[in-house]
Amino acid sequence: MATILFYILSAVAIVATGFCITRRNPVHAVIYLVQGFFALAILFYLLGAPLVAAWEVIIYAGAIMVLFLFVIMMLELAPDDPLPGPGWQRWAPVALLALALLVCSVLLLAVESGKSGIPPYYASPRTFGYALFKEYALAVEVVSFQLLFAAVGAYYVGRNERGRDPGGTP
Amino acid sequence: MIVPVLHVVAVAAILFFMGLACILARRSLIMILIGAEIMLNAAGLVLVAASAYWQRIDGQLFVLFLMAMTSAEVSISLALVVYLRRRQGTVVADDFRKMSG
Amino acid sequence: MNDLLLFTIPLAPLLFGVVNALCGIRLPTVVVQTFAVCGVAISAAMVLLLWPLATGEGTQVILYTWAESGTLQVPVTILFDRLAAPMALMVSGVSTLIHLYAIGYMKAERDQARFFALLNLFVFAMLCIVLADNLLLLFLGWEGVGFCSYALIGYWYGEEKNAAAGRKAFLVTRVGDVFLGLALLWLFAATGTLSLSAINAQAAALPAATVTAIGLLLLLGACGKSAQLPLMTWLPDAMAGPTPVSALIHAATMVTAGVYLLCRFFPLIALSPTALAAIAGVGAATALYAATCAAAQQEIKRVLAYSTMSQVGFMFLAVGAGAMSAAMFHLFTHAFFKAALFMGAGCVIHLADGENSIFNLGGMKQRSPYLFWIFCAAALCLAGAPLTGGFFSKDAIFAALAGHGGWFHLGLLGIASYTALLTAFYTFRLLYLVFAGSGASETKGHHLPVLMLWPLLPLTVLGLLGGLLNLPPIFGGGSWLANWLGATASHLPAAQEWGLALLSLLLVLSGWLLARWRYRNYRAGAMEGRLPEFLRLGWHADSLVEKLVLRPYRYLARFSSDGIDRSAIDGALDLFAKAILAWGEYLRLVVSGRVSHYLGGVAWGLLLVLGWLLLTTVG
Repeated sequence: MATILFYILSAVAIVATGFCITRRNPVHAVIYLVQGFFALAILFYLLGAPLVAAWEVIIYAGAIMVLFLFVIMMLELAPDDPLPGPGWQRWAPVALLALALLVCSVLLLAVESGKSGIPPYYASPRTFGYALFKEYALAVEVVSFQLLFAAVGAYYVGRNERGRDPGGTP
Repeated sequence: MIVPVLHVVAVAAILFFMGLACILARRSLIMILIGAEIMLNAAGLVLVAASAYWQRIDGQLFVLFLMAMTSAEVSISLALVVYLRRRQGTVVADDFRKMSG
Repeated sequence: MNDLLLFTIPLAPLLFGVVNALCGIRLPTVVVQTFAVCGVAISAAMVLLLWPLATGEGTQVILYTWAESGTLQVPVTILFDRLAAPMALMVSGVSTLIHLYAIGYMKAERDQARFFALLNLFVFAMLCIVLADNLLLLFLGWEGVGFCSYALIGYWYGEEKNAAAGRKAFLVTRVGDVFLGLALLWLFAATGTLSLSAINAQAAALPAATVTAIGLLLLLGACGKSAQLPLMTWLPDAMAGPTPVSALIHAATMVTAGVYLLCRFFPLIALSPTALAAIAGVGAATALYAATCAAAQQEIKRVLAYSTMSQVGFMFLAVGAGAMSAAMFHLFTHAFFKAALFMGAGCVIHLADGENSIFNLGGMKQRSPYLFWIFCAAALCLAGAPLTGGFFSKDAIFAALAGHGGWFHLGLLGIASYTALLTAFYTFRLLYLVFAGSGASETKGHHLPVLMLWPLLPLTVLGLLGGLLNLPPIFGGGSWLANWLGATASHLPAAQEWGLALLSLLLVLSGWLLARWRYRNYRAGAMEGRLPEFLRLGWHADSLVEKLVLRPYRYLARFSSDGIDRSAIDGALDLFAKAILAWGEYLRLVVSGRVSHYLGGVAWGLLLVLGWLLLTTVG
């Protein structure tokens, strides 16, 4: 059951991502991506990571993608994307390159790991919390500082300069 | 044992290189950032699979850190996109070539 | 008696020279002059006081070790022996008199501190040459006199001519110094020591070829300092310096340093007949050359300069004939009368208000009879008039040559005799032109200060009576100097000696009569014509040097500059730089400034890495 579900969800994630990267309209792309992320979240759950699955939905699909949508709409990129979508000439070499890379890495993995399967595993939120705040307490602090700096940086970059520069471009 | 680990990693690799293709092919800054998100998620999938494979929690913890880092990165890069759009009126990556040698 | 006191001889002038150099500009002129005279006077007094130390084998004192490295030991050593003592006395004594004269001569000049400081430094360096036992110390003095000579010739450096003369003297003597340096290095390599006395002691053990080569190198070194052929062109130009400098450096002391050097190394040089012959040949050639030039000069100081060259040639001739005592004898008498002549010439020029062409001078006898008698006496010495010092010293050289026998030395004797005739001729020519007649420049000129007059008197007296130093037996003397120096005086038969004396007398007389006939009432001005011009320009030596040395050297320099440096080296570097630049132009294309290109680069790199990993894993 879980195995079948895994392959179905993998296919969904790959197809959704494929649509995402080929859409001309960025809003459509983001929506497809959100769909892919949902599939990915359930994959996480299947692999024994319920907390990560929840965060995938909450943080990625819920927060980050909404941020993207917000910026796209604020910059009014959605209705008339000024770009002509990338044509064959641009996609063909990129796709070839990506395919070559994929073949390389899959071959590499096949040579290395063989056929061993993943045993069933379940990480409870309690285990997760212990490990997070005991072993990786310092890393948590570092990451939280990074988030703080990112917030300050984002504010600084995106601040409204109109106060200093009247008549500046909106 | 639901699937062989190779299959999970293969899916992750497909996602990863699709993200790379997106970054290489698209010219809009927004789409380039989206490509980066796809690649990061692929990396997260490998981490979770590794966590299950070795029966250790560390992989999942790293996905958490990955997400935190991603949100920081996205907030700054989107702020930069907004800023560039304001200054130059465009979000096409190839239009920014002041660093040309 | 404390041997270390010997070091006060060179160090006293150094001390006062340094004091004058450092703070002379703030001191009153009188103090500067007093210091300068004190420095040299103390030296002279110390030489007299310490004279007993020179008897016997002499005294060798070490002050301290200057440098040492392995077998190389450079102690600051003085060798105060029978050769050095009289030379040191002559240098310091004549210096004292010339310093006194300089006080009068330089009365109206600025920068007296510089002048007297350099003069004292010169005396220090000269005494270093005279007293040094260590060859490196000798070389220090050797270069020191060269530098002081350069700085003093160019004392009035405001005029380009004077500065150029200084440079010329410096560079030409430097050529000789290179050879001297080579000789010293060779000596060290051959003997393992730098001590002069030690080298002379083991000279006999050296191979004959080495001795000859070193002797020739020493000769070349001496030639540079003593203005002998072929390094003689600087001396006439050196007359651009103040007259006391000409008297001290270019007549009495520095130019005779070459002779002294050869005498100092005499035990070594005497071992090589070839080197001796070369020395004699150079001396004779220079004596003749300079005498012919002196006979055609127009400036009073240039006449004296060429005559100095000629007389130093006589000294070389004496050394080459193996008569070291005769060389030193002539060196001393020459120092006395030539210094007096130069100082007299300075007085004449002073009286005539800077006029120095002998054809425009004249009638100086009426202006200053005292000066005339002094100058006349000194000139008689130079001409070798009988019973003066110059007569005896020249006679000693003739005797040495005659005693040698052989066609080579008799030929040299012939040249020397002819030169003596020329010497008498140009000396009396100078006397007649400058002092006879009624002067054209009587109204102009200055009064002579006392200090410029009386230092001439002791020098002239010394020159006249210098013969007593080394009176040959036939005149009832005991050859004191020759005995003191331990030389084997050549003993000619009395008849031959008398014959040589008679020859000298005849030469002087004919020279005098010739000059009297030609110049007694001479009013024609400077001679025209090719021969006088040829002689006046020193046989075109300067243009010869210009053609043979300077012009090829300039071509070489231009070739090195344009051909090698600019074209080859700079061209190669420019080409290299251009290649780098062009390559950079291509490399610039990589930095397109497009993010997508950079990302593509990353992806291709990733493919490379993965592919390589795959290959190594599978393979």
